[in-house]
Amino acid sequence: MSSWEKIKAVATFEFLAAVKRPGYLIATFGMPLFMAAYGAVVAVPAYYAEKGSRAPAVYGVVDEPGVLSLSGDLDAGKHSQIPEEMRQALEAAGQGQALDRALAADNFVFRPFTNRDEAHAALAARRLKGYFVIPQDYMREGTLDSYTPDSFNVSGSDSREALSDLLRQRLVEQRVDPAMSARILKPIERTRRFAVTTTGEVRDGGSTASIVRFALPLIFMILFLISVLMTSGYLMQGTATEKENKVVDVLLASANPDQILAGKLLGLGGAGLLQISVWLTMLMATGLGVVPMLVSARVDVPWLALALAVPFFVTAFLFFGGLMLGTGSLGTNMREAQQLAMVWSLTAAAPLMMMAVLIREPNGTAAKVMSWVPFTAAPVVILRASNDASQLAWWEIAGSLGVLVLATWVGLRVGARLFRIGLLSAGARPTLREIVRQARLAA
Amino acid sequence: MSTPVVIFDGIEKAYGQTVALRGVSFDVNAGEIFGLLGPNGAGKSTLIRILMDIIRADKGRVLVFGEPRRRDHLDRLGYLPEERGLYTKLAVIDVMTYFGSLKGLSRPEAKRRSLAWLEKVELPHVATWKVDRLSKGMSQKVQIASILLSDPEVCVLDEPTTGLDPVNVQMVQDLLVERRRNGRTTILSTHHMNQVEELCDRVALINQGRLMVYGGVHEVRRRYSLPEILVHARGSLPQVPAVSRITDQGEGSWKILLSEGTPPHEVLAALVAAGASVDRFEPLLAPMEDIFVRVVKEGRA
Repeated sequence: MSSWEKIKAVATFEFLAAVKRPGYLIATFGMPLFMAAYGAVVAVPAYYAEKGSRAPAVYGVVDEPGVLSLSGDLDAGKHSQIPEEMRQALEAAGQGQALDRALAADNFVFRPFTNRDEAHAALAARRLKGYFVIPQDYMREGTLDSYTPDSFNVSGSDSREALSDLLRQRLVEQRVDPAMSARILKPIERTRRFAVTTTGEVRDGGSTASIVRFALPLIFMILFLISVLMTSGYLMQGTATEKENKVVDVLLASANPDQILAGKLLGLGGAGLLQISVWLTMLMATGLGVVPMLVSARVDVPWLALALAVPFFVTAFLFFGGLMLGTGSLGTNMREAQQLAMVWSLTAAAPLMMMAVLIREPNGTAAKVMSWVPFTAAPVVILRASNDASQLAWWEIAGSLGVLVLATWVGLRVGARLFRIGLLSAGARPTLREIVRQARLAA
Repeated sequence: MSTPVVIFDGIEKAYGQTVALRGVSFDVNAGEIFGLLGPNGAGKSTLIRILMDIIRADKGRVLVFGEPRRRDHLDRLGYLPEERGLYTKLAVIDVMTYFGSLKGLSRPEAKRRSLAWLEKVELPHVATWKVDRLSKGMSQKVQIASILLSDPEVCVLDEPTTGLDPVNVQMVQDLLVERRRNGRTTILSTHHMNQVEELCDRVALINQGRLMVYGGVHEVRRRYSLPEILVHARGSLPQVPAVSRITDQGEGSWKILLSEGTPPHEVLAALVAAGASVDRFEPLLAPMEDIFVRVVKEGRA
């Protein structure tokens, strides 16, 4: 029987054993449902609260100098701070109504009152959210009076902002031509963004267009970390079970530790990746509306980073998995195993912790050095390829992948030796001296 | 002449300051049931683990099927360890299929053989049971079936009948005899000396890491026996020469200790000539139990 067939036998068994576990099925399919239920619990009250505030907020205005010239209720319109590109993308994705709903809370209506007493009576009767008095000396002093209920009021500043916009509009409209008026009121209507490559080529380069360049490495890092952490849990559990159930000698009498370790990594790693794939699929199914948004924003897909993501992910996954399994198997129980393997979890998380530095200087010294370190190579290379592929030489990619593959091979060998020592040691955790001695014997 | 399928040649092994094996050498022949005997901690399990390549010897070599030990020999070897178990949360058939597939069987073939072996050990109904539902005896039989289903050419069974009732002990013994009939080799590590006498062709007894006794069971028993004969006769037993002592065991049975160098047939002839009516006459062989105890005690002394 070939070595690969042994690995396949172990991998098939471990995969099927893992995916048939009730705990696995609950986590795989239950987690998204739980998250959805949790979301609903949070979202439903928020929806009703938002629905309640959707009715326009009516403010009274006592305009003594007649600056606004209000003849009746005036809808001050929406006050959106959302970027232009984002608005366009949301509208292209058919989310215009959702945007309107989301922004409806900023809708103010100003109702004219001829004197303070009327406005005062209306506020006291709570027919108004508040009222403003524009005094006779407003043009000279720029001061106005604001009256609000003696209760908690969060929309006060927004209403002042809306009144301020309205005042600016009315003041300018009466004094300059419409074009000038439009520019004074909104100096930048929209921005056309362009990106210039190192060869001088000009491309569409809106901030939304480059969002994928930023998101891809971030998603890669998070997914990688989740995969490593989750799979390490399965690996630890599997090894602890074998020690507990005393099947170790039967296994070692059928396959060598390298084959068992590789089979476990593939089988349990596959189960872990399947779980993440299920979650991602569910997430993507619920977020399909994002696709037209990305298309409309003419997003710049970093194809090189996407192509490199798979080989780097798999290799780095095997690298960390081998080390974690080997180290973890030295523990005498599940808790101790997890503690021992923790050092690798922290190492795997290092690029994410240094994300700010890496994004600021994706081709700086730190990023270049980290591209050659097996523990950090995968996420850093993906980040650099995603940011600007032209700054990443082919030999850097090949070298980095080569180092990672070599380190994975060494990691699996070391992991397999530790694994053998861990499996054969019963009771107390082996000492460092014993580990070195056994490793020499296994060589 | 029998061909050795396993040769231990000068095996030495130490765990730190503790010496487990001191130059152990012996052969196991094809198609025999070989008894590997010794008290607890004698080094048997270490020797077996070296054979299965679970641990490495410090010195010496192991030849399997006439070649130096290689990893790919594992598919032709089977091993039921003394400290054993099954995956408790899985179905019996899944565990058996896995063990079969690790020995080179395809999954469908491993499953087919697993079902056949469950029939053979009279447990066809437990195929879909979770292992933790099995009784101790059931679990024991499933473990044995899991190891034997790949029909290994050489199989090491460490205390295979511990915890089994007499009926199931007999079943396991029958399986071993069947293996021998089919030309398969079994190395049986056991403390049940009656099983050794009943089943084994040859034995090796290890004590404190040293090989103390090695050879055919009959030959070993004869080697350790006193020159004694058991005689069943009607009436009284006449006095004959070349006899050191006669012990009356009652009901017409006597144990006769011969003088040094006296062949038993001469005593029989003398008894008959003296008018004894002999119904049964057999040289007495030392029980393996006595040999074991004697060798171990001598080692301690």
